[in-house]
Amino acid sequence: MASKTLVLPGETISPDILPTPTNPNLLLKLGPGLRHVPPSTITSTIAGPLCIDQKKNAIWVENNSGRYIPQPNDLIIATVHHSSTDFYSCSITPHTTFPQLPQLAFEGATKKTRPQLNSGSLIYARVLTASKHTDPEIVCYNPSTGKSEGMGELKGGMVFDISLGLARRVLMAKQREDGGIAVLEEIAENVAFEVAVGRNGKVWVKSGGVKETLLVGRALQEADVQGLGVEEQVKLVRKMIRQV
Amino acid sequence: MVNVTLSPLYRADGSATFTSNGYSVIAAVNGPIEVQRRDELPEEAAIDVAIRPAAGVGGVRERHLESIIQNTLRHVILVSAHPRTLIQITLQIVASQDDSLYPGNLPQAASNVPVLPALLQASILALLSASIPLSMTLTATLISVKENGGVAPSPSAQDLEAATSIHVLAFSSHGDLLVVESEGYFTMDTWEKVYAKARLICHGEKEEDSESEDLSMDTEEVTKLEDILKDAVRQKVAAEYRWKQSPDSAAT
Repeated sequence: MASKTLVLPGETISPDILPTPTNPNLLLKLGPGLRHVPPSTITSTIAGPLCIDQKKNAIWVENNSGRYIPQPNDLIIATVHHSSTDFYSCSITPHTTFPQLPQLAFEGATKKTRPQLNSGSLIYARVLTASKHTDPEIVCYNPSTGKSEGMGELKGGMVFDISLGLARRVLMAKQREDGGIAVLEEIAENVAFEVAVGRNGKVWVKSGGVKETLLVGRALQEADVQGLGVEEQVKLVRKMIRQV
Repeated sequence: MVNVTLSPLYRADGSATFTSNGYSVIAAVNGPIEVQRRDELPEEAAIDVAIRPAAGVGGVRERHLESIIQNTLRHVILVSAHPRTLIQITLQIVASQDDSLYPGNLPQAASNVPVLPALLQASILALLSASIPLSMTLTATLISVKENGGVAPSPSAQDLEAATSIHVLAFSSHGDLLVVESEGYFTMDTWEKVYAKARLICHGEKEEDSESEDLSMDTEEVTKLEDILKDAVRQKVAAEYRWKQSPDSAAT
């Protein structure tokens, strides 16, 4: 699917390696890390492996580090910072402007019945709009269906930090095949737990006891830091479960 | 010997260490973060550079170097990608050649520029590690000119003392000259020689019209700085994608 060449910022992507779509009407999609300089030059802006998807006619540069930049439709874990009359101001990454969460942006919320969130409470939300010129807006329901779809306040549990790359991999549809993540499935065979993954590099875990919660979080962090493959993750999880 | 590590610091958005020629610098980049109202620029990101010397607190020398680095990076970083934000670059000098020459505080008259290449290199590596969008990368080097007119790359503290002039040059990844800071007495011919040598060290290839024979003798042993930069990134990417390369996941 993807061929790997390393690019550094400022390199021109040669037109030869751009994907050639079978359908000529399909437009070329430039992902993160690339910029189009008119008329027809494409240059990289970050360092990382260049990925090409022939089927989707897309090209992008992968990266695992840096600060999370909100993008529409990303699922994120945010902390409520303070509340004003209509909005909760939340924090998704430290030291950035607060994205706003409308107080009525919850499933079934009306002016009379709306969730009361104190500062410090955790929410699982979706980025509705994000542009470089405005503060992002986040919501806790799907505007097209009106359902919460798992979003809302996260009660209890604990939050762990993981790298942005790992968060993206865990959120993939086929975690094990595409993302190479086996930790969660493997633990779930022995321990019951709830988990919410935010694209901003946060994982919220809740389970029966402190030991189990820590097990899940630590296993993910360990797999992240050491860059473990699927088999190694299975081994790690079995070892950790034996210790609990 | 040049030594580079990417992302040694855990809490910063991006970080790097750069050690070369007796100078060692740790750089940390945070950003894009919220900017103070008075520093806010409506159309572009503000860049804040803070230099901390190896000993004591920063003074005029550090402010001067900060302004050079800030002005350089302003053109390297794609500042329009993150308007109304701040990109904060902190550079901690860990070791410098001056330590051996002047124990304790630096005399006011000591030269400002020798540490500049290490600072520039460390900051560009930290920016790469923080995935800040850049229009190009840069490489920088220090060159001293001896009394007999010979150019010496990576001069030692003693060489710097004896040099008639010292030069710092930085080149973009496209081979363009970005920064030039020179101190001392020199002629235009000397400067041309320095330029050719620095370009060779940073960018590799020589320009067609430079034909000084004394430059070409040690071409082979010089690893160009751009390759060192690329190697550092390659190592980081390899570590990050270890899960993909590991033999068991390739089999599944």
